[in-house]
Amino acid sequence: MDLPGPFPVGRYAKTLRDELRKRARVQLIGEITGLRHTQKQTYFELRDADGAVPCTIWADDLARLSLPDGTLRDGAEFVAGGGPDYFTGSATSSPAFSFRVTQLRLAGEGDLLARLEALRKQLRAEGLFELQKQLARPALPKTIGVVTAESGAARRDLLAGLRRRGWAGTVVWAFAPVQDRRAAPAIAAAIQDLAARPEIEAVVVTRGGGSLADLWAFCDETLCRTVAMLRVPVIGAVGHERDSTLIDDVAAVSCSTPTHAAEAVVPLDCRAARGALQRAAVSLRRAGEGALGGRSRHLVALARGPARALRRERAALNQKTREMRAASERGVGERRSFQRRIALVVLDRAARRAAGPEAASRREALRRAEVAFRAHDPERTLERGYALAEDDEGEPVTAAAEARAAGHVKLRFADGSVGAEIESGRGGE
Amino acid sequence: MSEKPASYEAAVERLEQIIDRLDSGQAGLRETLDLCREGRELVVYCTAELDAVSEDLEELRLDELAAKLETAPAGSGEG
Repeated sequence: MDLPGPFPVGRYAKTLRDELRKRARVQLIGEITGLRHTQKQTYFELRDADGAVPCTIWADDLARLSLPDGTLRDGAEFVAGGGPDYFTGSATSSPAFSFRVTQLRLAGEGDLLARLEALRKQLRAEGLFELQKQLARPALPKTIGVVTAESGAARRDLLAGLRRRGWAGTVVWAFAPVQDRRAAPAIAAAIQDLAARPEIEAVVVTRGGGSLADLWAFCDETLCRTVAMLRVPVIGAVGHERDSTLIDDVAAVSCSTPTHAAEAVVPLDCRAARGALQRAAVSLRRAGEGALGGRSRHLVALARGPARALRRERAALNQKTREMRAASERGVGERRSFQRRIALVVLDRAARRAAGPEAASRREALRRAEVAFRAHDPERTLERGYALAEDDEGEPVTAAAEARAAGHVKLRFADGSVGAEIESGRGGE
Repeated sequence: MSEKPASYEAAVERLEQIIDRLDSGQAGLRETLDLCREGRELVVYCTAELDAVSEDLEELRLDELAAKLETAPAGSGEG
């Protein structure tokens, strides 16, 4: 053994105490547990999730702080100022380490917020805020679970909100204390019990409003990890005024009041939905009737189409006929007028020609031709007293032999014809 | 009903699609009649779902729920 010493233990204990007392004085924050008072001192542990420190405060120091009655109690969140100390004990008393508290106050919102932010950062980094938000939430659950205080206003407000939506399914209650930090394990157990029932389609965790210290149970790390891992959607409705609790972050939906939670857990407004369904039914009926009725009317119109088309064509044809007639009459008139003008011009020209010098010689030649013609005309011979013998055919009989052979002839005079029988053997023989 | 919808919201979504299609006026006669029939079935389903949560709001404690389900006739729990 090459260590220094051995030293008397009492002296060593005092040296240890002196060394500890040299350490910097600090403030610690945690939950009060194991609180007990003696005449001279008050003992408690200041604890959080990671560990604890035994604390002592002299009765005189505590009295000087004038904490309101009931403030210093187990479960309360406190900030303790002081430093490490060591009671060296004696020949008859045991030694003890403690954090010697000289200042003590209830943890304020700022202290809690600082702790909350650290925890929030950690859970977010682990991805625990997203798990619940990825769960499908039914629009119209038939059974929901609710964790709240049995006697709280939150219970009444939630029911009123559900009824306002026209929802009348089944609410399964799991009552739990919701006031202080120690409530967290009971709340977590209640949520887990509800989530274990397959009939329960969503879980609401709710309580009325309060300060962050009042709602501290809902910032409990274990509770929030439990909620994050559930496969049933959890609706957080912890009535915070300003700062959100950690359960708001991990829940599927975060609401500020139990009334809002009712709307979140039953997203469907049943009365409005019933109205929308009735409108949908009317739309469907109209669409069906309209499809048939519209097409029937169309078919009827098509059936009437040919007759209507004929009438239309006939009317068009009549119109065209009238137009053509009118045009034709106009054309004939114009043509007649034109021809009349042409004839007048031709007649005029003929008249002019007829009145010319050659006309007289043509008339004279014509007269001479007429005289010559008349000289040879048999009719003129008959007029002079001759007669013409003709046979039955009207052919001239120009020889006596022909006349004898014929037996009779017709004698044609200028004023008419008479029959003549031929006497054979008389005359020229 | 030809096929039960997966959920109320799925039924409503399909119903809205049907009405949009009918409102567009682009569906032929056969499609229109088929859509109307499907739509009427969906309306019936949704109405039944609403009716199921429209009678009287029932409040149970967790242990009462368990007891109720244990005493219920087999097969009566799920439609």
